Amino acid sequence: MRLYLEKRDHIKAFSRFPVLTIALLLAIFMSFLVLWSVGVNPFEAYLIVGEEIFLTDYGWQDLLVKITPLLLTGAAVALAAQMKLWNIGAEGQFHMGTFAVTWGALNFGHLNTFSLIPFLLILSIIGGGLWGCIPGVLKSRFGVNEIITSLLLNYVAAAWVDYHLFGDWRDPASNNFPITPGFSESARLPNYFDSDVHAGLLLALFVILVLTFLLKKTRIGMKIQLAGDNLDAARYSGISIGMLTLIIFAVSGAIAGMAGFSEVSGVHYRLQQNISLGYGYTGIIVAWLARNHPLGILLSSFLMAVIFVSAEILQIEYGLPISVVFLYQGIILFTVLGSEIFVEYRLRLQKIV
Amino acid sequence: MEFLVQLLIAAVEMGTPLLLATLGGVISERAGVINLGMEGLMLVGALTAFVVMLHTGSPILAVALAAIAGGLVTMLHGLVCLMLRANQIASGLALTLFGTGLSGLFGSSLVGKTFNPIEDIPIPFLHKIPLIGEAFFNQDILVYFSYFCAVLTWWVLFRTRLGLNIRSMGEAPEVCDSLGLSVLAYRFWSLVVGGGLIGIGGAYFSIAMNPYWVDFITAGRGWIAVALVIFALWHPLKAMAGAYLFGLALALELRLQTLGLNVSPYILKMMPYFLTILVLTVVTIKNARRDIKVMPAALGQVFFRGLKN
Repeated sequence: MRLYLEKRDHIKAFSRFPVLTIALLLAIFMSFLVLWSVGVNPFEAYLIVGEEIFLTDYGWQDLLVKITPLLLTGAAVALAAQMKLWNIGAEGQFHMGTFAVTWGALNFGHLNTFSLIPFLLILSIIGGGLWGCIPGVLKSRFGVNEIITSLLLNYVAAAWVDYHLFGDWRDPASNNFPITPGFSESARLPNYFDSDVHAGLLLALFVILVLTFLLKKTRIGMKIQLAGDNLDAARYSGISIGMLTLIIFAVSGAIAGMAGFSEVSGVHYRLQQNISLGYGYTGIIVAWLARNHPLGILLSSFLMAVIFVSAEILQIEYGLPISVVFLYQGIILFTVLGSEIFVEYRLRLQKIV
Repeated sequence: MEFLVQLLIAAVEMGTPLLLATLGGVISERAGVINLGMEGLMLVGALTAFVVMLHTGSPILAVALAAIAGGLVTMLHGLVCLMLRANQIASGLALTLFGTGLSGLFGSSLVGKTFNPIEDIPIPFLHKIPLIGEAFFNQDILVYFSYFCAVLTWWVLFRTRLGLNIRSMGEAPEVCDSLGLSVLAYRFWSLVVGGGLIGIGGAYFSIAMNPYWVDFITAGRGWIAVALVIFALWHPLKAMAGAYLFGLALALELRLQTLGLNVSPYILKMMPYFLTILVLTVVTIKNARRDIKVMPAALGQVFFRGLKN
């Protein structure tokens, strides 16, 4: 007896769905084991989590607030993935976005909101975009592995933000806490529906809409798709791969930078440590689960937001550390990755005579 | 002189976890498997060693279990990217997330606990060599173990049939397959053994370097090790040189702070990462110019033999 994989005769367009469902069920089962291993009753815990997320106003609000940065970082990583490039640096680009915005808000807080908000948005685009250009240039000019460089720059960006938080930007009234003074009213994004949901969500949806249009309907979008499908073919057809790589990284970084803007100006109204709960890294999973589909980004961001909010509730109810988010994300990515082969293949048992 | 000696001692200490992790990376990449889960594996190793040391006080048991934990967690990566043929990069990232989460979840109750770190054992005569004696031959047992691992890895990879087979898996898996060698098995076990070494590298942080638990104790060193594999040109002995060079940079960062240099510690903290990027860039340019093809040719490629397997 041995197991082997056999190619399916008919691959239905729909066949990804049941496979994905089983993968997610497996992930949920594994998350039960995780909770059980730290002495939490998983049934009880998920009942509480489910109630608090879906049956309270606050739960829905929190979901929409958490989705906002994930839509953007997810879109950032997904854009790079169009050309089979890995932008693992969305976390750092996010931080550089928050840095640039905070610089603007602290120095130009007296401007009125109609000029300040667009200015801050542009700053975040520049901050994140330039940071994204570093791995972009290194990749396009010298062929340096973009995975490693973009990742390492995350640590640099975090240290850079800390440098200011523990230095010249620290709020004198904060009792030595590493936080900046609060932003002026004009630097804050408006909230909607009398809730914490803010204009960043609209920005995120708008960005995804524009990106989808650019990729599907324009020349440069077509070039990107071609380069993603077949790099050599694209090169021979005269497309400058280096230039395209650089553009992709700049834009990807800019989008991640916007996520930073949305968080500081829409949620915290100041710069502080741990503004990102790993949104940049989560963007990688969002993009991978989305399979380059804009609707997929919405769905996978929603799923990841559920995980973030669940982790917060688990933290409050059971004192679990927030890093349980990473564990859940790792589990989901593993199960989904491991399941993909079963879309095209099926497992067969062969009797050896 | 005293400053230099202290600096070199610190350089070897800082370099040791990097060396162990890089060796782990070299083994699996030589077999054709990228392991981007290093950061997570080091955290798992660090956590396991810390817990075992706290409860038993036995460094040998701590290191052994850190290796086993590293190997076991790596099996997830092997299962997904080798047996189920998923993308190795994505699966490696999942491994880093998984390991980071695992260490965060189980480490949170360990903050504030401590024990005696493992002791230094001077090697007779050798530790009296001026300048480098103290640095290389008056260290703890794990440092000596890392020397042994580097030489052993080199010997196995380049001087034995087993090593030839492993390296062939990274160059031409189809050929190996047609010769009747199991690509999956070779790749899987190379990956797992590598994961064990990376776990030991992590253990060094928590039981030798600083015997108290901090969240994210490895602080990105796993990613530096990923870069070091390339810097070392997938060679175990060159990995030694690379690891100590980076160890030196990290040690310098610490020493400059204690010297009372008027630079923010946060700026100094950036230096090793910048250095890694710089070195990686230089190595990439140099390799491209000299047309060196040391990178395993089948690195990261999914091996799939026909329909049945």
